[in-house]
Amino acid sequence: MSVVRRFRPENRLAKLLEMPGGVSIGSALNNASIALESIRESCMQALDQKLVVLANMASRPANAGRDEAMYLLANEIFNESGSFNLSELSAAAYSLCTLLDLEDRNGTRAATIRVHIDSMRALRHPDMAGDQAARTAVLDGLRNLTARHIETLLTDEPST
Amino acid sequence: MSADLNPNTAINLTKAVVLVVETTSHAADILSQILKGFGVAETHRITSIREASELLKHKAFDLILIDPDVEDGAGYTMVRNLRASMVEPNCFAPVILMSGHPRVTRVKQARDTGANFFVSKPIAPNVLLQRILWVARDKRPFVEAGVYIGPDRRFKFEGLPPDSDGRRSTDIKDPLGAANGPDMSQDDIDNLMKPQRVMI
Repeated sequence: MSVVRRFRPENRLAKLLEMPGGVSIGSALNNASIALESIRESCMQALDQKLVVLANMASRPANAGRDEAMYLLANEIFNESGSFNLSELSAAAYSLCTLLDLEDRNGTRAATIRVHIDSMRALRHPDMAGDQAARTAVLDGLRNLTARHIETLLTDEPST
Repeated sequence: MSADLNPNTAINLTKAVVLVVETTSHAADILSQILKGFGVAETHRITSIREASELLKHKAFDLILIDPDVEDGAGYTMVRNLRASMVEPNCFAPVILMSGHPRVTRVKQARDTGANFFVSKPIAPNVLLQRILWVARDKRPFVEAGVYIGPDRRFKFEGLPPDSDGRRSTDIKDPLGAANGPDMSQDDIDNLMKPQRVMI
């Protein structure tokens, strides 16, 4: 059995937080939102560029390397769009990540991936920006599609 | 706003030195901007594990925010190596792991790195601030046990595992046994906790 040592190191962060001065939590959150907005434009351009790259990747033959690269890119889109409250785009990217994380590369998977990427690009179209109902409809469609795909995998007979 | 985030409470992060290790420069930008809003004056943004490890040897940090998926999961190893290095003060610095889509194979890995907290992306300012305050107020001791070095992974004590005598000096090894004597009345219990005026 290994020897267990328990100790309490100094927590410098706690001491700094308690120092006089600083800002209120309300101001800190407000300032953070303003600071985040200042980089929105450049982040949106980067997101659109990533969607183009993702579409190009999807047109190549499926293999583990391509899927891993697509997974990483979809994950970046999920993270970065979510921080700017593009919740539908973020959710669509999350759904694509789930799909790409599955090992099965047969059946309707390729088409489902293609639909995800087309939907994500559509969600970035200016016409969609002010149409909450349309964005919700796109997301609902993706959810149904992905659920059917995953359900098929789950109900497959285990291989012997 | 969360109950932990009273908008009138003052916080001071102006002297805090923060290391951000992210998968992309845009993800690092997002975190840096949020931290700037919180009043952090010194944030180091890195997208390479090698650079981050090098910087940790020479600069003291008060908080480390890292996406462990940097360079195909090398972030997990970086945190584990940081804890094992025992080079103070960074080996004890609060570490918050921030990960995007969760891969099932990585969950246990995250728990065993020695990080203080795991946060799911996308990062929102209120969630990040809540977690920063949480790790600053975290009272869990550090544990060094075999290959694991980091905050105690148990958030609450739920008793000994079944068929175990426990390893702590405070663990009660003998069974408590059945109660003997009559049950206490509610008045008796209330009187145990009731403040009483004391005449001296």
